[in-house]
Amino acid sequence: MAAPLYITDSGRLFHAGLILIVTVGLPARGKTHISRALERYLRWLGVKTRVYSLGDYRRKVLGGAKNVPPDYFATKSPRSEATNALRRRIKNEIEDQIMDFYTVQGGQVVIYDANNGNVKARKECYQKFESKGVHVIFLESICDQEEIITANIRSVKLSSPDYADWDADRAVADYWSRIRDQEQVYDTVTADEGPFIKVMNVGERIEVNKIEGYLQTRCCFFLMNIHTKPRTIYFARSGQSLIEHSYKADSDLSPAGWEYAERMKAAVVSRRKAVREEKKANGEPMNAENPLLIWTSARRRAYHTAWPFVHSGYKVVQKAIMSEINPGVWDGLSTGEAMDLYPDEWDRFLSDPYAHRAPRAESYHDLSVRLEPAIFELERCQDDLLIIGHASVIRCLLAYLVGLPPNEVPAVEIARGDLVEVTPASYGVISRAFHFWSGEGRGDESGLNLYENFAESTSGKGSVLPDSGVNFTADALNMEKEAKEEEEIDKEQKAEYIAKSLKGKILNRLVSSGDGTRSAPHSHLPGLEEDKDKEMESQLEERTTGSDADVDYNSDEVLSESGAEGKQSGSLRGRAMSILEI
Amino acid sequence: MSMPPPPAPNKGKSPLLTATKSPTGSASSKSPTSSPSTARSPRIKPLPMTGIPATSSANDDKNRLPVDPEVLANAVSKLDMIRSAPAPMSQVNSPAVTPGASGASSPKFFGATGNGPSIPGTLERLPSTDGKASVPGTPHFGAQSELLRTLDESTRILRQNSKAPSRAPSVSGIGTVVEKPDYSEAKIVVAMVGLPARGKSYLSNKLMRYLRWLEYNVDVFNVGQLRRSKARSALKEGKEKVDHSATYFSHSNAQATQIREQLANETLESLISWLKKNGNVGIMDATNSTRERREWIRHRVAQEPDLQLMFLESFCDDPVVIAANVALKASSGDPDYAGMTREDAERDFRKRIEQYESVYQTITEPDISYCRILNVGQRVTINRIQSYLQSRVAFYLMNLHLKPRSIYLSRHGESMYNVSGAIGGDSDLSPQGWKYAEALPALIRDNIGDGPLEVWTSTLQRTQQTGSFLPFEKKTWKSLDELDAGVCDGMTYEEIEEKYPEDYESRDEDKFNYRYRGGESYRDVVVRLEPVIMELERQENILIIAHQAILRCLYAYFHGKSQEELPYIKIPLHTLIKISPRAYGCHEERYPLPIAAVDTHRPKPKTKKPTPSVPPPVGEGEPGSESEPKGDAATEAHENHQNNQIARDYFGDKGGKGVGVKPESVSRILEEKVKQGDIRPSAIGDHNE
Repeated sequence: MAAPLYITDSGRLFHAGLILIVTVGLPARGKTHISRALERYLRWLGVKTRVYSLGDYRRKVLGGAKNVPPDYFATKSPRSEATNALRRRIKNEIEDQIMDFYTVQGGQVVIYDANNGNVKARKECYQKFESKGVHVIFLESICDQEEIITANIRSVKLSSPDYADWDADRAVADYWSRIRDQEQVYDTVTADEGPFIKVMNVGERIEVNKIEGYLQTRCCFFLMNIHTKPRTIYFARSGQSLIEHSYKADSDLSPAGWEYAERMKAAVVSRRKAVREEKKANGEPMNAENPLLIWTSARRRAYHTAWPFVHSGYKVVQKAIMSEINPGVWDGLSTGEAMDLYPDEWDRFLSDPYAHRAPRAESYHDLSVRLEPAIFELERCQDDLLIIGHASVIRCLLAYLVGLPPNEVPAVEIARGDLVEVTPASYGVISRAFHFWSGEGRGDESGLNLYENFAESTSGKGSVLPDSGVNFTADALNMEKEAKEEEEIDKEQKAEYIAKSLKGKILNRLVSSGDGTRSAPHSHLPGLEEDKDKEMESQLEERTTGSDADVDYNSDEVLSESGAEGKQSGSLRGRAMSILEI
Repeated sequence: MSMPPPPAPNKGKSPLLTATKSPTGSASSKSPTSSPSTARSPRIKPLPMTGIPATSSANDDKNRLPVDPEVLANAVSKLDMIRSAPAPMSQVNSPAVTPGASGASSPKFFGATGNGPSIPGTLERLPSTDGKASVPGTPHFGAQSELLRTLDESTRILRQNSKAPSRAPSVSGIGTVVEKPDYSEAKIVVAMVGLPARGKSYLSNKLMRYLRWLEYNVDVFNVGQLRRSKARSALKEGKEKVDHSATYFSHSNAQATQIREQLANETLESLISWLKKNGNVGIMDATNSTRERREWIRHRVAQEPDLQLMFLESFCDDPVVIAANVALKASSGDPDYAGMTREDAERDFRKRIEQYESVYQTITEPDISYCRILNVGQRVTINRIQSYLQSRVAFYLMNLHLKPRSIYLSRHGESMYNVSGAIGGDSDLSPQGWKYAEALPALIRDNIGDGPLEVWTSTLQRTQQTGSFLPFEKKTWKSLDELDAGVCDGMTYEEIEEKYPEDYESRDEDKFNYRYRGGESYRDVVVRLEPVIMELERQENILIIAHQAILRCLYAYFHGKSQEELPYIKIPLHTLIKISPRAYGCHEERYPLPIAAVDTHRPKPKTKKPTPSVPPPVGEGEPGSESEPKGDAATEAHENHQNNQIARDYFGDKGGKGVGVKPESVSRILEEKVKQGDIRPSAIGDHNE
């Protein structure tokens, strides 16, 4: 795995050079879904990655559908010279931006999200980038099942600004005709064009040609494991242990820890029941419920927290690779002691809490690399999953699922006593936290979360970070609001229903942001903010965190917004403490 | 898991501990003078006896003695006290300057050797001067300190007080044998597809070794072997020799076709019954070249409820690869071609291939799960992969290549901890270790010439120092760090044996599965090395400078060693091991350098082999003979290899084809160094014993 990283001379992680992944495929083939998933994974690995979407860029330049020349998508009849020039201009501009990302911004991987259905255009693109030392691979998404395509159109494309104010069925028909047109001139990627990965029906079949290089093969393995079957992933920290701050002692649970374990099991069981009933109430198809699988680390405090599950016959798997971050020589120290004893290390650590590795310790990057096989297995797993672990490990896994940039990972608050529920959705995940324990081991007198050892704790790591708004504790306190929202909207079918009842009101799957991220791919387009506000009013809120292009490092608006949200949620704090009836 | 009876609190107290910090037995024992830092958790409170309603089963109850409240209070107060015991100040070996903000700790370069800052014996066992409860150099709650015992004792009392409906097994001491993970759900039939000479057997064997290394129960069921063994026994019974020339494989030969089908059936049946018993992955090594055949297999496997089926097609249209495979087959002493000239054998084999080609249908069936590999990894198609194990198999196969290359394994040079006999730690090289580091570039250069090479080290100082003179690209892998000995880090085996005799013994009962408390087992190391293996398969020439346990695991992968043998594989210090993958198994050469080092190998005690005092046969006329390694690497390793038919040459062996370095060249370089004053010759041999 990870050929261990750390920044190479070029200033990039991994010794893998520059990579351009060019998506190929007809519209509505899940290219964007795959691009976003890949971007999320690569970013999590610490690779500076960005998706450049031609469609988004076109919309940004031209605005909505009315500004697009009528022959813009024409394939049969020749386009006017003006339109061709416009197309060329847009294409050149976005490709210039991609080069700029490599050369100026120090990026390493770009995913160029466009149809690229023409063999000649692909060749030009290939030569253009290869000549500049960028390794090009094609990622073709093929789909031969109309149901998948139609579902994809409904769930994603209708929310596009191109179809603002359109009737849903008419929009679907229009989109299909656009696809049919393009099918006429579509060339599938062949072996002599260069390295490619072909993904058939979202992972059902994968064909890989001449793929070499560390990151490239990782991408293949990743794509081999993703699936779209609905399931839920729960996270909870282990209970309080007798010797919290020592890694080596591997101590047992304290009496409070044992009680915590029982409470947690009750919380998980009742939450799953609630989900089931909610589905029933929504009239969603009641397929057989996913079985619940439990992963814990091999540390005693984690495995024993899962003990009530073991005792009642659930399948509990201990995974040695899920041990908490190793504090190395800092084992057993408090923040103050660490500062006193290792002042130099401390300074370096503060300057880069994600990548700094104290003597014999692990950095968060080391931890991410260690956890990578767990990520693949988690992606592959189709059961519901409960991961009982340690704050550092949960942070890394959540960061992956939610799409956080690496430098924010060390400061994510994970309170002991919160059950974090993550449900994968179209372009990201929906995450919530439920509070089930306020007893010993949760927080200190001032209400700060307690952590197992110093390396796990967030203290000192927050100071270097902007307030990302990613605070799952705040989510927990938001619980009541959550429950209400949950009733109002949850899944996309429901959103569709609302859309109809609102008569053609724009249906952007946006948004809100206790967690500072938004999910719709178009959300960063200008002119959309008003729409968003309206939606908030209409309570069309979906707490979605996702692999948005703007989980970027600079989205000010998002941050300010989440700040306001945070304040609001504070007032609910008192009531949130008595949550699940267990 | 057994729980050894906890010893009386004060028994075996370390003389190194200061009296004020060792737990006293009284309930009114004074609370720690320093108040716990706010970063630590609040004081432990015992749950009231009525904490959780007891619904315990009867058999649990008899283990539960009511706990005297005073004893309980005592335990709680002891716990509170040890919780606030300050952590020891460990030895920090961090580089003086860190390049950039990346946190990369690149090897520091020492111009001269032998001037390392540390002197053996002074690293550890410094009596603590400021009242620290643990000894410097050992971890917090290290097994050397008394804290661990006190913790276990108090934990036991608290647990006795528990009213929970069930109790998890309690653990104390320095580690336990961990049970093997449950793989019983993984039951996969891997059916090979492909013409003869397409590397099917190569892939099956490779896959078998990989999965066995990960502790799956894997076997290859080879139709050809069954056919040959049948023919052999028929011959013994005096029947006439069965014709296995190309005509046998003709598809117009109805009788032979029927026999071949029957053989395939038998193979599949024995595979299935083996899988149902205790297998995880059964590989059916046959051509399975027609759609009809594959449909028949699919149909058969579908009758078994828990079995998954995956086809693995090796397709090859590169004439070079095919020719190489044909030549290998014809010259490898294949029993089918016994008594034939090589040319005849090749001609017949090519004819056999033609027979298959005439009916061959490549996999295109959309509904079955398969992995199709074109020209060993050039192009790979993966269809309907069902489980994580299957996708890992597919990914593994994707990373394979056939380019000739070698993997070099070397331990770090002798470290200060090696000299003092301690395990773990992050110590610097000893003077002898530095000599090895200096000699390494010449050894490598002689071996690979100007060929490309990448050096992988762990993040620990001793491997980085060992690689610091090598003029190649270097990468540091956290995954290559030594097995974490947890609470025993920094102790010698003798100390561990003295402090925890029972635990020490149980480690030898099942060393592979023994996990040090707060540390790792060999199995944990194998799991964390799995990604390294994936990457290694993809790469070309690699030199890995790592640690004893790590190299044992890597070595076991390449040589298909069992989990029982793995922890006892001999990987001596100051020896370069060259492993070159071949069609079947790996070719190995060892180059021990004549630089003395301690022997860190600890044989399995049950066999109680006396350590041989005879110097190893490192070869005649060896100039550096005054400093041969203490362990007899060559002979020992040879014993390890008896069961596996891998050609090996040792450095200096008569008639060995040993490529590479001559001992003369190494000693020449050493002599030159001595002349230049870089090495003091007096130091050579200092550590012979």
